[in-house]
Amino acid sequence: MQNNMLAMILAGGRGSRLHDLTNKVAKPAVSYGGKYRIIDFPLSNCANSGIDVVGVLTQYESVLLNSYVAAGGRWGLDSKDSGVFVLPPREKADANLDVYRGTADAITQNIDFIDAYDPEYLLILSGDHIYKMDYSEMLAYHNAKNADATIAVIGVPMKEASRFGIMNTDEDGKIVEFEEKPAQPKSNLASMGIYIFTWKVLRKILLADMKKADSSHDFGKDIIPAFLEEGRTLMAYEFKGYWKDVGTIDSLWEANMDLLDRKNPLNLNDPRWRIYTEDVSTLPQYIGPEASVSNAYITQGCKVGGEVKNSVLFTNAAVAPGAKVIDSVLMPGAVVEEGAVVTRALVADGVRIGKGAVVGSADSENILLVAKRVKGVE
Amino acid sequence: MAKAFGIVSSSGAHFQVKGMQEFRPISAFSFMGRYRIIDFPISNMSNSGIDRVHVYINSPRPRSLTEHLGSGRIYNINSKRGKLQMLFANADEMNTIYNTDIAGYAENLEIIERTHEEYVVITSDYMVFAQNFDELLNKHIESGADITMLYHKTSTAKEHYLNCNALNLNKQKGVVSIEPNLGNTKDKNISMDTYVMSKELFIDLIKSARRLSSVFTLAQIINARIEELDVRAIQHKGFFAAVTDLKSYFDSNMALLDIKKAEELVNPNWPIYTRTTDSCPTQFFEGSDVRNSFISNGCLIEGTVENSVIGRGCIIKKGAVVKNCVMLAYAEVGEGVHAENQIIDKWSKIIRTKEVVSEADNPGYVRREDTL
Repeated sequence: MQNNMLAMILAGGRGSRLHDLTNKVAKPAVSYGGKYRIIDFPLSNCANSGIDVVGVLTQYESVLLNSYVAAGGRWGLDSKDSGVFVLPPREKADANLDVYRGTADAITQNIDFIDAYDPEYLLILSGDHIYKMDYSEMLAYHNAKNADATIAVIGVPMKEASRFGIMNTDEDGKIVEFEEKPAQPKSNLASMGIYIFTWKVLRKILLADMKKADSSHDFGKDIIPAFLEEGRTLMAYEFKGYWKDVGTIDSLWEANMDLLDRKNPLNLNDPRWRIYTEDVSTLPQYIGPEASVSNAYITQGCKVGGEVKNSVLFTNAAVAPGAKVIDSVLMPGAVVEEGAVVTRALVADGVRIGKGAVVGSADSENILLVAKRVKGVE
Repeated sequence: MAKAFGIVSSSGAHFQVKGMQEFRPISAFSFMGRYRIIDFPISNMSNSGIDRVHVYINSPRPRSLTEHLGSGRIYNINSKRGKLQMLFANADEMNTIYNTDIAGYAENLEIIERTHEEYVVITSDYMVFAQNFDELLNKHIESGADITMLYHKTSTAKEHYLNCNALNLNKQKGVVSIEPNLGNTKDKNISMDTYVMSKELFIDLIKSARRLSSVFTLAQIINARIEELDVRAIQHKGFFAAVTDLKSYFDSNMALLDIKKAEELVNPNWPIYTRTTDSCPTQFFEGSDVRNSFISNGCLIEGTVENSVIGRGCIIKKGAVVKNCVMLAYAEVGEGVHAENQIIDKWSKIIRTKEVVSEADNPGYVRREDTL
């Protein structure tokens, strides 16, 4: 293993505030940015940071997610010494099949997997965040500070801080207190759910946590407080860059719209830090003779015959001649038929907007999720 | 188990695409923005269930081709049962007349002999078409013919497919003779350099060709033995292009801007595989005006693009006009530049010359990595 660090991605969450988008797939498998799925980000970050072995902890609606991440070659994680391993809950000789009862429990139930690689460090990631980050730099920080655990934090606006898990630190960046969604936040450093642990320390604390009847087996609620209680060195590693937890339809839409910004700090066009994804065999995108495309982010396989403005079109999306797509996101295979108008909407995978139909409106407060076929109007 | 192994033959030395070919063989030319020409014959093989494919290489500059093919995994070939092999034919730099397809086969005869399959399907590396070779093989076996060839009927042979082989057929679609298209008549049956035969006959043809002449091609030895062999031809329908010079390269890319033709060539039932570069989607800025064009991923477009095929990662700046152009990957057309009827090769930049315009019947060529 390069850099002696193994990564575990927590990808079991449903993301129920994404409504119909996560009826059939877990949130990490939700499409983003034209050609990606959200989990491509942590996986590509791992590959680009020189991490060879990645375990993906799945639970909710995991058929698609499991088969998707199992093809580790997509992220270059298929050399002899590397791999992406799908780790759903399993039955064991000494324990019955049980769901992952919390984020920490998901790791504890896979201690045998981790031990088999004998890593010095364990990197815990969330499968549903969009950002680019070099974990090897975070590891260097962890080592330089002789930390037992290092938590990546990002500065959020003070007025929003009460929505996050907030780290209160001393002047050296040492975490002195952790508050989950504090009513009166003392700092604006929010946990990004990215942790580096010195494995043997975490291992002990996880095993102790297993025995606590009142524990929810959660990193934020139980494990981090246990580290603090033991007087362990917990460091905050401040990340400066684009980071988005797309919890709602509005924020998923917004994260897509961010890509239209020329100065977008996420910059997916950087050859030094590519985000890798599934390779699809389709024609390049075709823009028709009467099309009008402006301020748009469009990918392979799309067919545009009509007007597309301030919008993001995912793989194989189609906009027929005479149709209009404005301030909207068309997920993979979504089709807008002739004369239809889509405004401020997020059209789910494969959904068809019939001829002449009008969906969404320019002055709506929220983004409209269109998850079912919309009939055309005569 | 597949009954046939495949050969993608190397285009003859008689085809020279000026400019472009100085940097790579025709088979490695970019096509429709995201493909290379070789993706078509190999995907045809792969989609037909042929998973042992020999690719012949006799170019003095094979780097871009070998890099593209890699292990062959991109072509959806079973990595244990199947294999994509690159076979190098020693190119004679002194006299290119020696660089025939047969010379390559003779040089690699042991490898051909060691294959387990009973039949061979041979196809060309400079032509673009979709064809199910499994269907062709079954028809060949049913017919009992010695050799089955594929041809495309054209009525523009005076201007197109020059120096490609043409088939003279009798009424029963038997091949009477094979001769080069010298452009003397408009109606011709252009050979698609695609053959199905038994491995045994193939080896016999290689050996007999070597005995008769050191510069015989496969078409020539078949023609020389046409009396004793039962050679039949099957007509191909659908899109067909032979890239034999700069004009045909340009025209074949342009012809596919007809989306119906493009979707007939590449579709979910007949995918064409290629190497991904993991580029992000293409970004169109405010003020961009794009019409009737294929755009690959990773481009940044702010100007006007019309009737063009744009490769990956191209940059088209504000006020630029790209009209009837084939732009290869990572090329750039700068602010206010007007480019028309051009083939703009990889990594080149048109930024200081504000007008690069040619006629449609004689497209211009901007060299790889040049800055204008």
